[in-house]
Amino acid sequence: MQAFDCAIVGAGPAGMSAAIELANAGARVAVLDRGQKPGGQIYRSVSESPLPDANVLGPDYTAGAELLTAFSRADITHFAGADAWHLGDDGRILFSHLGETCELHCREMLVCPGAMERPMPIPGWTLPGVMTAGAAQVMLKSDAMVSDGAVFAGSGPLLYLIVAQYLRLGVPVAALVDTTPRQNYLNAALMLPRALRRTELLKKGLTLLAEIKRSGIPVYRFAEGLKVLGEENATGLQFTTKGQTHEIAADTVFLHQGVQPNLNMTRAMDLEHRWNLKQLCWQVVTDPFGQTSVPHVSAAGDGAGIFGADGALITGRLAALNILHRLGRLTLAERDRQAAPDLAQITAMAPFRAFIDRLYRPTDALRLPQELSTLVCRCEEQTLADLRAGFDRGARDPNALKSLTRCGMGPCQGRQCGHMVAGLLSEWRDERPETIGYYRLRSPQRLLTLKELSRYQAASAPAQTEAAQ
Amino acid sequence: MKADVLVIGGGIQGCATAYHLARRGTSVILLEKDYTGRHASGVNAGGVRLLGRDVAEVPLSKASMEMWQTLDEELDADTGFRRNSVINIAVDEGDMATLRAREGKMQAAGYTHERIIDRAELLDRLPHVNPDCVGGATSDLDGYAIPYKATSAFRLAAERHGAQVVDGEELITLRRVGQSWLVQGARQRYEANSVVNCAGAWADRVAMMIGDNVPLSHAAPMLMITARMPHFARPVVGAVSRQLSFKQFENGTVLIGGGAKGFADRSNNRTRLDYAKLANAARITAEFFPIMARASINRMWAGLEAYMPDNLPVIGAAENADRAFHAFGFSAHGFQMGPVTGQIMADLVLGEQNRFDLTPFRINRYDRKVL
Ligand SMILES: Cc1cc2nc3c(=O)[nH]c(=O)nc-3n(C[C@H](O)[C@H](O)[C@H](O)COP(=O)(O)OP(=O)(O)OC[C@H]3O[C@@H](n4cnc5c(N)ncnc54)[C@H](O)[C@@H]3O)c2cc1C
Repeated sequence: MQAFDCAIVGAGPAGMSAAIELANAGARVAVLDRGQKPGGQIYRSVSESPLPDANVLGPDYTAGAELLTAFSRADITHFAGADAWHLGDDGRILFSHLGETCELHCREMLVCPGAMERPMPIPGWTLPGVMTAGAAQVMLKSDAMVSDGAVFAGSGPLLYLIVAQYLRLGVPVAALVDTTPRQNYLNAALMLPRALRRTELLKKGLTLLAEIKRSGIPVYRFAEGLKVLGEENATGLQFTTKGQTHEIAADTVFLHQGVQPNLNMTRAMDLEHRWNLKQLCWQVVTDPFGQTSVPHVSAAGDGAGIFGADGALITGRLAALNILHRLGRLTLAERDRQAAPDLAQITAMAPFRAFIDRLYRPTDALRLPQELSTLVCRCEEQTLADLRAGFDRGARDPNALKSLTRCGMGPCQGRQCGHMVAGLLSEWRDERPETIGYYRLRSPQRLLTLKELSRYQAASAPAQTEAAQ
Repeated sequence: MKADVLVIGGGIQGCATAYHLARRGTSVILLEKDYTGRHASGVNAGGVRLLGRDVAEVPLSKASMEMWQTLDEELDADTGFRRNSVINIAVDEGDMATLRAREGKMQAAGYTHERIIDRAELLDRLPHVNPDCVGGATSDLDGYAIPYKATSAFRLAAERHGAQVVDGEELITLRRVGQSWLVQGARQRYEANSVVNCAGAWADRVAMMIGDNVPLSHAAPMLMITARMPHFARPVVGAVSRQLSFKQFENGTVLIGGGAKGFADRSNNRTRLDYAKLANAARITAEFFPIMARASINRMWAGLEAYMPDNLPVIGAAENADRAFHAFGFSAHGFQMGPVTGQIMADLVLGEQNRFDLTPFRINRYDRKVL
């Protein structure tokens, strides 16, 4: 079995920047990612975009190419197409690679699981034809596929970015239905002066919005009461704004209301988590260097708290510096000296982040299902009514509710419903999310074929059999 | 808070005990340190099995099995019980000989619920079994239930009859003063005339507070469950001499057990899994049922279970204290015993006639007078 100074799970900006830093300092580094190419979500296929002109995706995307070059030049053992299904706090990682379970050991582990989109459980959100804005991005980046005449609904930078990318490609867009509430603009405005120190970021956002407006597509603001129309498939979107109800016909509805950390890895490792009040999501507890409640396990990037791609590069680097210190390759003083610019950068970015978080904070009406017939758990087809019935039968804990209703037991392992269930229980019990807690999660972190598992032998097993013979 | 009886532990034994007491008009408080059904009773394999039980346990298990058949009506709830039978597969003639020896022993004791089946019947009832298998044994009353649902059904029924169930309340100390038990919980104090120890993997600690020492150990048997797959096995499947154990539920998911144990950390309510052993369970399953090679495993877990050295539970009065009773140590097959255990404990507490011989289950069966 292979042993490494540090194993990094997730080859997005955080994982890549950490790997480069560690490798350049001489540490033996392994990087595992499910994808065949490094880059993660944001830089997906950046090295060989299927689009004739990748510039339509914007400068943030193309900037990823530099990182990729540095990554490919560094001395890093990159396991591409390696789907980690068990991360042990003993430093053992089990991962599927070409249909076999492989195993590696590391002294330090860095998890960079990235973010996932916050589900938007409006009536009809699970109908065929309803997808997330992130899915639209993936289709565009890796397959150059687009949907003509789609409606985009929700709020947040990623939503505006994909609309702008569509427009640049000349793809017709039925409408942008913006759910950012008026109150959010007022609350965020208070934070603007401090955020303004990062004018370039603000300008970037405004340019996108201006670009969308100029295009002349219908843009509805302050939309509420969203509902996907259709029985078997999505046929359109209904919503209310300024006292008027609108219906927009479309076969495809893209929804988005921000992202939240992908919790399954950090939860399955039983790391300590806290509720982030500003972003309304759980996140793993770390120190400024990403070190978690288990000292030899660190977390970086959006998976450790939403900070965006720029933030992920920095938190990845900071985690690497601390890991180098823990490996005895950097003194504490040297770590702190090298980390100073990055730490300062994080502090400088914080007000802008706070502004974005406030502006695009989802409303409870969109974050939590409102209609009894709305599905909460897609895998096990459990509706709000089913969950409420389970709660009324005494299941007041997320795990008890899961045991009783099967909500969260399906193949997604609660990725979709976990935050919703925590939110609902918090409302019903009138208690803070910390008191409610979250699902107890376990490996495997995704479906594992029985055939593959049956071929797995613990790394020390072959030696024992030899001895026995 | 005051009650006639205080039950410690909200697993199936504690909830069933509370139910039977409350139903007979006794005032009961049940303390559960986490939430009812959080441990073995809510996460076990759900096997409701009479087949292959230790002879000492058969009278109780048989009575329990009869109760399972009508439990949904009795508790007015859905326990998920399905009487789909259990089959233990025989791989070779050696296994068949084992089964015949067992049959002789069971018949001598007057039991007829286990029946040997030949290869033809095995293949008929489990068409996907590896055709090398030669036969097996079955019990037709057997089946499975949904553990958390069954445990919570007892709890809700107990509450309907007036029992008070306190979740999130850990018993810290227990003292006999005069005619009462004074009980200190993590949050509150309680007083009761009798106490019943149903504390599962923690029951030796509670027994010690009562004054009884017991050689209880605990371990973490592991399970894994697949994503839904087409129906291929109606009976619950076990094997005479292999670590094979699975059942397919109505929704198509297949639960695989086999008794392999992970690592138990009871002070932290935690277990760790042993993946090499789970891989072994996967190998055996695919070997006996080639169709299972296509299955996708969705989740794996382990539960904390209490074991006695002879794999028989402790059921009965305390040795060194008055008005204290024990029901624990079910050694990985106590889910099926829940209904009858509740009834027996209520009989014992209320001083009523009990129809079973409980000597094999007495707490002091391992005591030695001399070193
Ligand atoms: C993985 C697994 C598979 C199994 N499969 C089967 C099967 O297929 N068929 C079968 O018949 N049996 C099976 N069993 C066994 C069965 O689950 C147990 O025998 C049975 O559930 C035991 O019930 P219990 O009420 O004694 O224990 P538990 O369910 O463990 O309940 C004990 C409760 O006591 C509480 N407690 C402990 N100390 C205190 C305290 N100081 N204060 C307050 N509360 C306390 C605990 O929190 C716990 O909830 C299996 C067990 C496991 C773990």
